[in-house]
Amino acid sequence: MKKFLLLLFLALFATSCVVVKEYDKVYLNDEEMQLTAKGSERFETNFQIYREAAAGANGGKTGGGCGCN
Amino acid sequence: MNNYLALLILCSTCFGFAQSDSTVYKKRVLESAEIDLLFSYYGQDGNNAAVTGGEGTEKLTDATSSIVVSIPINPDDVLTVDVGISAYSSASSSNVNPFDGGPGTISPFNASSGASQSDALVHLNPTYSHSSDSRNSVWSCNAYIASEYDYSSIGFGGGYLGLFNEKNTELSISGNVFLDKWNPQYPTELREGFFDSRTIGTGTYSSSFTPFVDINRNSYSLSVGLSQILGKKVQGSIFADAVIQNGLLSTPFQRVYFGDVNDFFIDEFQLADDIERLPDYRLKIPIGARLNYFLSDRFVVRSYYRFYYDDWGITAHTANLEIPIKLSDSFAIYPLYRYYTQSASDYFYEKEGAVSTLDFYTSDYDLSAFDAHQYGMGFRYKDIFTKSKIWMFGLKTIDLRINKYDRSNGLSSFIATLGTTFVAN
Repeated sequence: MKKFLLLLFLALFATSCVVVKEYDKVYLNDEEMQLTAKGSERFETNFQIYREAAAGANGGKTGGGCGCN
Repeated sequence: MNNYLALLILCSTCFGFAQSDSTVYKKRVLESAEIDLLFSYYGQDGNNAAVTGGEGTEKLTDATSSIVVSIPINPDDVLTVDVGISAYSSASSSNVNPFDGGPGTISPFNASSGASQSDALVHLNPTYSHSSDSRNSVWSCNAYIASEYDYSSIGFGGGYLGLFNEKNTELSISGNVFLDKWNPQYPTELREGFFDSRTIGTGTYSSSFTPFVDINRNSYSLSVGLSQILGKKVQGSIFADAVIQNGLLSTPFQRVYFGDVNDFFIDEFQLADDIERLPDYRLKIPIGARLNYFLSDRFVVRSYYRFYYDDWGITAHTANLEIPIKLSDSFAIYPLYRYYTQSASDYFYEKEGAVSTLDFYTSDYDLSAFDAHQYGMGFRYKDIFTKSKIWMFGLKTIDLRINKYDRSNGLSSFIATLGTTFVAN
């Protein structure tokens, strides 16, 4: 937990260090650079939720809604 | 007096300009309606079926289709409706009742022909989102309804997303509640009135089974996320969830065999000593991180890591690596690899490993210790001008993903997914 909080603090600290202007975001706005799982990955995430104990922290279902683990 | 009048006229003019700002062009959050059509086919096999106490066929096939429609209500608001159906056929779940008179030897490695061998899950998930005029914040709310023969779910939630630091930083927070209910289907031999003259064993077969009284299962989750641009070609994010589940967290048809109880059989099928009993409370904490790097005009590196902890004794690590390779403006391929490892739950026992004096036990190998490797390939076709059309919808993207999944305890599966996106013209 301490390491997680430290990492979070460093990430927040980093927000003051980098500012990329909108006109410089051509690479960041590429579809493949998006920080979310692709829509076509959802079925893979579903079977992983059923077959594995771990779930969540990937923008998808974190628990409930199914008779799964 | 004239000065005051002039000042009043000036202020009115400014107010007028301020009012006219509301008629200034505002880019719509979603320009036009989009439809995503998703299909998948999943197949698996293994030898550790939980329905038969950790030993038996895990053969299963599942076909799923979903439609996701996103409709711009106005420049700021979007309504998204996700509806889908998943139909599965399972050799292991057919053995909830293995004594249905079908052909062949009754065995955990043979599927029976009972009604429990197949089922369908339907779901409906509408989401409404509202963006501020500045597009620096988004509020959303959602609902969820799902139903299959032995399980129903109602859920709702909401979230907030804020952009800061000239949209270089994104903070999100969301919460969801699921109020679920089992329609318990117990193994046949544990149901009241069961008798079968073919039963063999030492003594008289009688289990320690008692039906569940509370058949509700509730889940409450809180999720936070922080995304940050780290440079012109790199950005990352951290996600953390906290999930609390309470109620009936066991699966009612998953058998357990005790090592200190006599064994009874019909043919080669061992009759259950009990079903899995798990605590009625669970705390889950997954923490994940993504890091994407634009290597060149052809290569992007997408990486993901997750640490998972719960109070059932399970810790897990997940690592993903995906490398999109752009062959042209329209075509891309992306090889991918995923590694997963988990420790066993405190309540997991192999077949005959648990004893009857324990409070909690399961022989579900999904809660055992194992490693898993998943490797696959994706193909994408993209046409931003949507030249190909079906009726009034233009084809924007086609995604095809094929994955192979192998677990160290013998489960093996594959999944193929086809996704298409259409844009209304």
